[in-house]
Amino acid sequence: MSEFIYLIPALTVLIGALVLMFMSMYEKFKTRDFIVVSTVFLVIALGFCLAKFTVFYSVIPFSEVINNVLIFDSFSNYFNILLIVGTILTLLIGEHYFQHRSFFKGEFFSILMFALFGMMLLSHANELITAYLALEIASFAVYIMVGFNTENSKRVEAIFKYLVLGAFIGSFYLLGVVLVYGATGTTNLTQIGEFILTHTGDDMILVYIGLTLIFFTFLFKIAAFPFQSWVLDIYRGAPMVITAYMASTFKIAIFSFFLRAILHDFAPIIDFWDTIISVIIIFTLIFGTWLAITQNIVKRMLAASSIVHTGYLLLAFIALSYKDGMIINIDSAYATMFYLLAYLLSALGSFGLASHIISETNVKVTYDDFKGLSKQRPFLAAMMTIFLFSLAGIPSTIGFIGKFYVFTEAINAGYMGLTVLAILATIVSVYYYFKLIAMMYFYPPKEECISEEFNDKRVSTYAIAFVAILTVLGGVGSAIVFFIPVMNIDSIIELTKIAVQSLFILR
Amino acid sequence: MSSDILSFIIFLPAIVAFGLMLTTRDVNTIRNIAFLTTTVILALVLKIYIEFEPSAGMQFVTNVPWIESYGIHYYVGLDGFSLTILMMIAVLIPTAYLLLWEGKTKGYWINMLLVQAGVTGTLLSLDVILFYFFWEVMLLPVFLMIGAYGFGDKVATTIKVTVYTMAGSLLMFVAIAYLGVAYHTEFGEWSFAYNELVKITTLDYTTKVWLFLAFLAAFAIKIPLFPLHTWIMETYKNAPTGAVFLLSSIMAKLGVYAIVRFMIPIFPEIYVEFSIYFVAIGIFGLVYFGIAAFMQDDIKRMFAYASASHLSLIAAGIFSLNEYGINGALYLIIAHAISTGALFLLVGLIHEQTGFKTMKDLGGIASQAPVFTFIFAIMLFANVGLPGTNGFVSELLIIFGIYEFNHILGYVAATTVIIGASYMLWMFQKAILQDRPEGSAVLKMRDLKIKEIIAFIPWVILVFLMGLYPDIFIDKFEPTVTHYLQDILHIGATK
Repeated sequence: MSEFIYLIPALTVLIGALVLMFMSMYEKFKTRDFIVVSTVFLVIALGFCLAKFTVFYSVIPFSEVINNVLIFDSFSNYFNILLIVGTILTLLIGEHYFQHRSFFKGEFFSILMFALFGMMLLSHANELITAYLALEIASFAVYIMVGFNTENSKRVEAIFKYLVLGAFIGSFYLLGVVLVYGATGTTNLTQIGEFILTHTGDDMILVYIGLTLIFFTFLFKIAAFPFQSWVLDIYRGAPMVITAYMASTFKIAIFSFFLRAILHDFAPIIDFWDTIISVIIIFTLIFGTWLAITQNIVKRMLAASSIVHTGYLLLAFIALSYKDGMIINIDSAYATMFYLLAYLLSALGSFGLASHIISETNVKVTYDDFKGLSKQRPFLAAMMTIFLFSLAGIPSTIGFIGKFYVFTEAINAGYMGLTVLAILATIVSVYYYFKLIAMMYFYPPKEECISEEFNDKRVSTYAIAFVAILTVLGGVGSAIVFFIPVMNIDSIIELTKIAVQSLFILR
Repeated sequence: MSSDILSFIIFLPAIVAFGLMLTTRDVNTIRNIAFLTTTVILALVLKIYIEFEPSAGMQFVTNVPWIESYGIHYYVGLDGFSLTILMMIAVLIPTAYLLLWEGKTKGYWINMLLVQAGVTGTLLSLDVILFYFFWEVMLLPVFLMIGAYGFGDKVATTIKVTVYTMAGSLLMFVAIAYLGVAYHTEFGEWSFAYNELVKITTLDYTTKVWLFLAFLAAFAIKIPLFPLHTWIMETYKNAPTGAVFLLSSIMAKLGVYAIVRFMIPIFPEIYVEFSIYFVAIGIFGLVYFGIAAFMQDDIKRMFAYASASHLSLIAAGIFSLNEYGINGALYLIIAHAISTGALFLLVGLIHEQTGFKTMKDLGGIASQAPVFTFIFAIMLFANVGLPGTNGFVSELLIIFGIYEFNHILGYVAATTVIIGASYMLWMFQKAILQDRPEGSAVLKMRDLKIKEIIAFIPWVILVFLMGLYPDIFIDKFEPTVTHYLQDILHIGATK
């Protein structure tokens, strides 16, 4: 029983997904009921995760059944919390949007829960095939959700592109697994790690090739160069809420598995990819920035800027290095985890807010449509400003602290040139984020966008305000808001440390 | 308590601003409370000014951990140098309120309060990250003010000024991070306090030069030094009066202040080595902006150039490596803040009343508004440095300083200061004294109200007091300057 407690969060989500599926068979449930039920399940799961938030542990429960393929440790717990929080906030922020769109039927929420289940599993995965299964559970759920937008003709393009490309890149992964298995005779990460430690030279060729292929999957899923171009069309065609979900939560899930693999098991050979990653960072930053400034549609701009943020995250990744049997610059792993949290909040906030704004009407999509928002809905405009500040890395938001860590660690590892490039990308990003702020504040509203009928006292607005408060608290930290211990910047860093260190508990 | 007084001064305006934002919509209430806040701050600053001990180094220090994992502290304090500027800010802002009194909106006053919090924070922080924090934050309210209440092509201006200054700040940010990492590598722990960063010894020459330039990028854009000045003309022309006042009299000075506070202690040898270039650039800027000001017809643009010209002189003084120059630059910071601030506010009044701001449209104001003209004249004379005003003392000191630094540059500086006098007086004659050409209607221009006259009285007193008895003021910051020269730059004080 004591081992069973570790499984509860994931199982709760799974049961929730099944319950929602059964509920969707009955006509009498309304969208609102589905939101409530899924939120209840998520909150229960979150409660169990939070109970172990500060605990330093690493266990493999029911090892004879689960057979070492899943690990439950502080690391996965940290990511589970991020993922569940991301999903809850997506649901709550999207509450308005869900109710104003006829195509969100009950099964949508079931699929959302399945997606979350896949992601949570991914953060626990300690074996390549398991990771693939978890990834595909999540991916397929996301493919379906992308296609939900029956009002938008772009959705066919979006879902088709995403499905085909995703399946294609999935085959890279499988080929990689096969090659790694050919060399090592196992797909278990721990055993592969042992193999890597004890072999050199020719034995390793297949491992290198296989892992490089797996690495490509990673790059595709996080939308790094050269796999970035799908992002814009897919984010454009997907329902806005799902775009928010993909840009924030799904990306984090991908990072969870690859961080685990890289930090714990593939650590001895991570420097092999340094050159490749450097090049990828350079192009990711340049292409992302270029795409972002050329966009006229806010959703696409945010999507493109998420590519730039991928570049920053990879910058923390490359700072990891291995020497004399241990990872040096382990701090940059904390920086990555912190940045993921910061990015989760700001991306979810900005995308979610955009979806909230367009939920009554379809017009608020281009920069022009945001004109005069501050006059009509000053509260939402102020929240949007906070999120954009955070994305741009302006001090007093959590985005600034995140950037500070990432850049400091990158410099610490000696990647001065890349950091300067990232800073240049940030300078340009100030332009495209502030352009939106200028639109909201400095222009009179457009005629066709003026709508009198809105009600700011609803769940979505409160959820957005909550995220905005977290964003600011995370950036101001303990000196002023010492009375909220969890959002103290130091304790967040402490939590990321616990999470990362739990990977190295000997079992 | 006495050690927390600085934090109180920094955060009071911000807290009041947020409180007002949420509670009331009545513009008059907001303005009155905001004004009251600034006077409370003025009283507190006066208290500090009296209690301050000139020879004792950093005082009123608060140093508590902010982000402990990276050794970032909430570290504020002041020495003679920052005290002088703090005093200046505290005096200038309430009087500016009195002059901007009518016809503003809620957002305007709230932004004014937020700016005050930002600039005070920037001025008092001694931790580089904290400094960066305030440095960026103080820009945001100005951004909103220009965009929301500006004139002309205001949005493009807003974006331009924001991206421009942020570009500089972000370059500085890399340099800060680099210094932090260097400190961490050398001492095994993180710290961003300026007096800790000074201890770094591992940086080689080239790195230091790059870091120096990265820091300078942020400050030179704000000041602005030639050739990074291209943002100011449009900004000063299109921005509302309040924002122009804040940018020119306060924020530009913070750029100079930051050079002294952070760049001199952290890179002393680079500073000494490069000083000749910067004195030269400063004097070039003085001439260049002076000539550019000559060409302007729009008075606000003209003042923008004039202000850049003076700030170049201040920069030249700061880099002149001796007590005359640095004292003079500090003195000119105050003098220039008063006179330029007043001039921008007065021109703002003209623009509000008549709708014109170009010289060819204006004229005959003297006969309509004698008190206005009188105060305008005093501020103008202070600005061009007529003997008896504070401008004279400071320009004289700077020219001495530059002369001692390099004779040729000294001659150049001495002869070119006259440019400033000529265009200013010319403008005064054309726009204020002379009647409009025959056939055009007489401009309607009310004279200053009692409230506005009261607001100007302390400024006028300061202009003459500082001009006639400079010692009372210089004594407060001179020990700090001497400390800088002897202990940090290892150059004997030359007095």
